[in-house]
Amino acid sequence: MKNSKSTIIAPVTLGLIGVFMWQSQMLHRILGADTFTMPLPARIFGIITENIAKILFNMQATVMVAIGGLILGSVLGYLLAILASNFPKWGVGGLSVISSFNAIPIIAIAPILNNLTKDFSSDPNTRSMLAKILVVMITCTVSMSVNAYRGFIELKPFSEDLMRSLAANRMTVFFKLKVPNSVPYIFTALRVSVPASIISAMVSEYFAEYIIGVGRQIRENIVLAQYATAWAYITAAITIGIIMYVILIIIEGICMKGRR
Amino acid sequence: MTKLQKKKLTDKLVILVWIIGLIVIWEIGASIVETTKRSPQNVLPHLSQIVESVFSSKPVSNKQTAWQIVTSNATITLLRAGTGFLIGTLIGFILALAMNFFKLVEKAVFPYLMMIQMIPILGMAPIVLAITQDIDKSRIVISAILTFYPVATNMLDGLKSVEKEKYDLMHSLAASNWHIYTKLLLPTSIPYIFSGLKIAAPMAITASILVDTLQGGAGLGTMLSQSLKHAMSIYVFWQIVFFSAFIGILSYKLMSFAEKMFSPHEKAKGSR
Repeated sequence: MKNSKSTIIAPVTLGLIGVFMWQSQMLHRILGADTFTMPLPARIFGIITENIAKILFNMQATVMVAIGGLILGSVLGYLLAILASNFPKWGVGGLSVISSFNAIPIIAIAPILNNLTKDFSSDPNTRSMLAKILVVMITCTVSMSVNAYRGFIELKPFSEDLMRSLAANRMTVFFKLKVPNSVPYIFTALRVSVPASIISAMVSEYFAEYIIGVGRQIRENIVLAQYATAWAYITAAITIGIIMYVILIIIEGICMKGRR
Repeated sequence: MTKLQKKKLTDKLVILVWIIGLIVIWEIGASIVETTKRSPQNVLPHLSQIVESVFSSKPVSNKQTAWQIVTSNATITLLRAGTGFLIGTLIGFILALAMNFFKLVEKAVFPYLMMIQMIPILGMAPIVLAITQDIDKSRIVISAILTFYPVATNMLDGLKSVEKEKYDLMHSLAASNWHIYTKLLLPTSIPYIFSGLKIAAPMAITASILVDTLQGGAGLGTMLSQSLKHAMSIYVFWQIVFFSAFIGILSYKLMSFAEKMFSPHEKAKGSR
């Protein structure tokens, strides 16, 4: 009992010390910052409550890009994994080429897609939205395809032989054995790609034509030297990150019930 | 030729075919763009044009050729990324050891390590620049932040993965704490540290380039955004795109290579 108490008390104490050091400006002295670039928590909170409508509007734009790209990329990655597991000889090579895409900086991809999608729509908001979603899609495809492929291949020993000995056809083997087997691997991929989707959404906003979204607002406000507002948007970004991750954990808990 | 060698060869051939396939797709795209767009080099140039620009001796800005600009600025960016990466690795290493040694530290810090993974750190790059007021420092700081948590969490996983029997063996041999760490815990955690480093290395480079784009001066990111604004040849942009992709992949390979150097027992396993 004593053990579980300290699991909660220890991090909360550390957090409180952190906030206290920030509010009492001890943190500023350590980092050599002033309250202008690093406003006190009370002031950031005040700005959030004042501008809540505008912040929510920008949060919505970022979340739409992140989730849109996440869904498109994950579905595409899953389909690629199905293809690769059906044609293993060519698929494995293809997957290893694709997985090297993961090491390409987002910054290199974002401007290319911006230019490619220029003719898509006359509305700058729509076309930069498309460009941003495509960037997020690319970052999410890789981790899903690699992990889902492992889910199709790493089956329980002899389970595929059992299916064959029962004269199951390929479709049945796929839907009754491989798909269920890949579920935990899907969540492994999502644990990587959910935070990655938000990061790439924010970075692609930097290069987008239309000025919208949490990431872009952080940058714009810093350019205008409105640091307190920028901090408000950073808080918004952190909130998005944590909420999306918690939602993922909840969904994982529901889907994986009885598996562990 | 043994069966294994043959398989390795076909694997390499498959990868080669894939790369050729990607090049073909790119070229088809470039040909379409060439006929439909007014300035195709901004959207999707032919690969040959990019290669040509690397070797062209025509100065594009400040009497430097496009390739000179890329390499000289890359050194600046990559040195900072590398410094941040090393500092981050060191912090992650120490933090993981501290968390393993003191239960209270683990309890206090671990939830925050989990939280950092959910936070879009790259989005905070501008504010780090505002606080440090120095582009070099902020490159290092951001790369270090991005490096330390994958290293810390993965290494902690590694330290925890040591079986109880091995501890028992060490204790029964009256090994000191120092020996348990150097002979048992650290060697076990090496593969885990490297899986953290493999995540962190491309991220540190991305971060460093991103920080560049926030301010003028020198660096790959600065050149990238200037080239996009047509302050200099657009091919500088394309060269940087391919260069950064190459460096990103190289950094990953470098970590795999270093991993093999540091874990000879793994190498022995692989050759079997």
